[in-house]
Amino acid sequence: MASPVVEVLTKGIGELNLRDIAVYRETGGYVQLERAVKELGPQAVMDAATGANLRGRGGAGFPTGRKWSFLPNNGRPRYLVCNCDEAEPGTFKDHMLLEQTPHQIIEGILLGAFAIGCKHAYIYIRGEFQDGFEIMRDAVAQARAAGYIGKGICGTEYDLEFTIHRGAGAYICGEETGLLNSLEGKRGEPRLKPPFPAIKGLYGEPTVVNNVETLAYLPYILRNGVEWFAQAGPERSPGYKVVSISGHVKKPGNYEVPLGVTIRQLIDDCAGGLRDGRTFLGVQPGGGSSACLFEEHLDLSYDFDTIAKAGSMLGSGAMVVFDDTTDFVRASHALIRFYAHESCGQCTPCREGGQWIEKTLARLLDGRGVESDIEVLKSACHGITGLNLCALGDSIEPFLGSVLDRFEAQFRAYVGRERVAS
Amino acid sequence: MSDTVKLTIDGIEIEVPKGMLVVEAAKLIQRDIPVYCYHPKLGPAGLCRICLVEIEGMPKLQIGCNTPVSQGMVVRTLSDKANEGRRAVLELLLLNHPLDCPICDKGGECDLQDYSMAYGQGASRLADAKSSKPKAVDLGPTIVLDEERCILCLRCVRFDDIVTGERSLRTEDRGAHAMIATASGSPYQSDFSGNVTELCPVGALTSKTYRFKSRPWDNHRTTTTCMQCSVGCQMHVDVRVGAVQRTMSVPEDDAISDGWLCDRGRYNVGYLTDHRRLTQPLYRRDGEWMQIGWDDAIALWANALRESIAKNGPASVGAIGGGRLLNEEAFLLQHVYRALGSENLDWRTGRAHTAYPGRHVGTPVDLENAQAIVTIGRPPAQTAPVLDLRLRKAVAHKGATLIAVGNHAATPGVRATRVETFAGAVKAIPAGTARVAVVWDGEPFAEFEAFRAWIASLSAETTLHLFVPGEQPNARGAEALGMLPGAGGLDTQTMLEAGRDGKLGVLALLGVNPVLHWPDRALAIAALEATPFVVVSELFMTEAGDLATLVLPACSAFEKTGTTTNFAGDVLPVVAGVAAPPEAWADGDMLVALAEALDIAVPAPAEIEARVRELIAQPSKLPPMPALDSAPRAMVERDTARVVVDASIFSGGGTLAHDERIGALRAPARATFHPQTAAQLDVASGDEIDLGGPGGALLAGLTVALDERLPAGVVALVAGVPSAPLNALRGALSVFVAAKRRPQALAEARG
Repeated sequence: MASPVVEVLTKGIGELNLRDIAVYRETGGYVQLERAVKELGPQAVMDAATGANLRGRGGAGFPTGRKWSFLPNNGRPRYLVCNCDEAEPGTFKDHMLLEQTPHQIIEGILLGAFAIGCKHAYIYIRGEFQDGFEIMRDAVAQARAAGYIGKGICGTEYDLEFTIHRGAGAYICGEETGLLNSLEGKRGEPRLKPPFPAIKGLYGEPTVVNNVETLAYLPYILRNGVEWFAQAGPERSPGYKVVSISGHVKKPGNYEVPLGVTIRQLIDDCAGGLRDGRTFLGVQPGGGSSACLFEEHLDLSYDFDTIAKAGSMLGSGAMVVFDDTTDFVRASHALIRFYAHESCGQCTPCREGGQWIEKTLARLLDGRGVESDIEVLKSACHGITGLNLCALGDSIEPFLGSVLDRFEAQFRAYVGRERVAS
Repeated sequence: MSDTVKLTIDGIEIEVPKGMLVVEAAKLIQRDIPVYCYHPKLGPAGLCRICLVEIEGMPKLQIGCNTPVSQGMVVRTLSDKANEGRRAVLELLLLNHPLDCPICDKGGECDLQDYSMAYGQGASRLADAKSSKPKAVDLGPTIVLDEERCILCLRCVRFDDIVTGERSLRTEDRGAHAMIATASGSPYQSDFSGNVTELCPVGALTSKTYRFKSRPWDNHRTTTTCMQCSVGCQMHVDVRVGAVQRTMSVPEDDAISDGWLCDRGRYNVGYLTDHRRLTQPLYRRDGEWMQIGWDDAIALWANALRESIAKNGPASVGAIGGGRLLNEEAFLLQHVYRALGSENLDWRTGRAHTAYPGRHVGTPVDLENAQAIVTIGRPPAQTAPVLDLRLRKAVAHKGATLIAVGNHAATPGVRATRVETFAGAVKAIPAGTARVAVVWDGEPFAEFEAFRAWIASLSAETTLHLFVPGEQPNARGAEALGMLPGAGGLDTQTMLEAGRDGKLGVLALLGVNPVLHWPDRALAIAALEATPFVVVSELFMTEAGDLATLVLPACSAFEKTGTTTNFAGDVLPVVAGVAAPPEAWADGDMLVALAEALDIAVPAPAEIEARVRELIAQPSKLPPMPALDSAPRAMVERDTARVVVDASIFSGGGTLAHDERIGALRAPARATFHPQTAAQLDVASGDEIDLGGPGGALLAGLTVALDERLPAGVVALVAGVPSAPLNALRGALSVFVAAKRRPQALAEARG
């Protein structure tokens, strides 16, 4: 079958030096920004996001236009924060976009900011992205020099300040309210909601937090029209998506596709299929937080709603593929050790449940498992999801729960087994 | 639009105010939704997840603490689903919690115990060792922390942020390693630290004074009014084996304390059983103290009064006191002396001139709701601490503007506009402010007439509330009940002068110590030395007692029953919670015995009570203000610093000096300068200095401290520190460094 790969955000990557503002402009860069601030006006940009049904590419898949519409008209300053704290296990699309096409992100942020009437936009960059930070810093300087950032953008009355903020290495700061706390200089831990950021966000003011990829599509929606985006993929989950594929495939990497391709197409036609002689056991369709899908799901449409209906989630669009060499006890432990380590510790189920499951799995792997561990894992999985303050706590168990259900024998085999050298 | 909504909780329909939280609405129908992190005074935090309820139409369980009610909402607090969620959370909370309940101070009043009984499982399913964390962490001078018991509800951290604004507690590390810690690792020091032990739903935070002392079910509880300052906080007193084990706030006391106590009020109870308590009347004969019985003691006092009046008339006797007595006692004191014909009566023994707020008297709630707050002189942080929390609430959470007149220590936790003069404060009040509060320390100040004129000039649109926190707990009561000189009578100053000049025959000091607190120490000493018969009623031997003829052992406020009056004029109950030492008498009993010995009729208790309430309800008059000597007194030609007199809740010579358990909290003998001023005066932090004033006044033995928030050219000194009594300076307005000693270690460290 033909490759479903398209080139929108990924166009020119590997061929052109898109970090150079001149090169970016040659590809049509900043034209839409200029058009928006000079001709279209903010409402048109907002209408485009709504009309294209651009759903958030950071994980939750929330419609961007609706998110913007929640901002109250109370005369208070508004903030737009671009979430570039990509740290979801298996996800590496924003990392690539940041390093390869910074101007595309800047243009997207500027369009979003213009649409909501924001005078100060922020980009929060994951601390580990040292190169990405430097690239973004240089790109912002170029954009500022070219009159796209600062006072009187493109000669209009529109002013926008732009701040780059670097994280310090906490996964929880990718959660939007944890991010806002961190941005304010506070401890990076999620806030109690309500109030939601649209009402009380950065510095207590109405705030929108959007993912890098979400914002980066804005210039193309304006350029190619709402229909172009809305007609790609399923009606309720349209458009394009950069999917990070990793795990047991021949060609791991980022692939941009229209939503609605099948999981099988992504694995076989994009990532080159499984390694020779291996058989497929499962796939995480949406990063470390998503439940595993199996053989019977391979022909499902890869879109927000279908994947959710199958009991998992599209999340940030990161597929991790597992073949028959996989030890799901070890895989679960690796993931849960991450979540337990990254828990901010505020709320009980995440703090206590994460470490309990982690300890139990570690003991199983260490050859000190007992029969009751399997029941504990099952009930703990059942017990902690849905009770947490933020999504991190609800991300601990979906993968474990799904593979424990499917491959219980692998877990039981560890009970009473000697430690196996890795 | 209606301000209420109807909803159903567990099948019961109720109508509640819009916006109310489900957890609060459930209380109205006696449904106890368990909570750990939520607290009505701290608001929701959403951390513990124990308050899960099922709400019809919502797929997931919701937390009752952050879900506001809505019209037609159907809530189930006891459904299987809600109970299952709660059980899961409780299992997780108990998973690593040490089950050391038998030795835990919280055992018996622990929310984790109680809810484990209600929702918990019989056995732990944890197959691994429980995680281990630091135990018995010394958090500061008052608090010990057990990190293993902590369930990270963060009530303590939030109290320190939301209520005090001091932000010295925080979370350290994260995830399962998260722990309570102090900012920058320095000790947790706050005047309100004890409240965190009450907020703590488990036994993680304990008071050093109460650890391992008692079990809650063995304590006998009474409720009284705290008599450490004039706020009048309601307070539980827990007694076992005849001793006060601890005091606790009264959470329902919304009107006065808001449910909090300061550390002085909470912790300063060790003096009750101190071995230095006076337990027998003492009489000085031929320069030697001898123990005598009460009959002799009262007879000596009565005879001295009779003789002095017979010889020199009733103007030759006088009494100072009342501010530390109960209403009934203050009334009796003036009753007996007026019956003798003496008008030499005064409650004032410190710097305050009055405790009377006039017709603008405000309640704590009025202070909280003020839009602009002006403090004149010493701000209430160190004179009426729990009232100060209302001030902080107004500023931090209700947008009030705080304007501080004078150079006193700043109120912690909130921002203030600092001005030099009252005129400056008036300018700083934002235009259009409808509710103004003024907190005045009661000390005369140069612009007092301008202040009164400003009050008179206020338009009808402006509501003024005036707060005068009394220097003594019952100052307001004593003032209203007649402990001020009547026509021709002497006030404290003139009484002391008369004493010094040999014109007084008998002077009674009831619960007051002018030698430590009257601004002119030398005058107080001279007066007591020259007066032939000085009678002192006290808990301990004081500097004044040392100079007396007769010293009477008194009961503390925990050992007698009656009423007191707080700064706002509320008559509040004082209830004996513990027995006094056998030979200690309440001042009221002494006065009744004295009246009997002098054939003075005493009204029946019910009559006194009626009279007390009547007098306190009456508008009294402001005592005449003394003319102020506003020009700095002549100084010798040296570098000088202006004196700023600060207060400390931990200064004083009586109950605090005789409470070893909280010795670490006592205000040190300290002189604080701006670094620049210190440099000009050639003193450095840690130096020990003596300060000199006009006329040879000398205050010795102060340790230099630096504070950049102080203005240049001043020295801040704390009044009432026994080891370095500020009144040794005799009211000097400016001082010079008379001597300087650099401690050896410090000198070496500085090379």
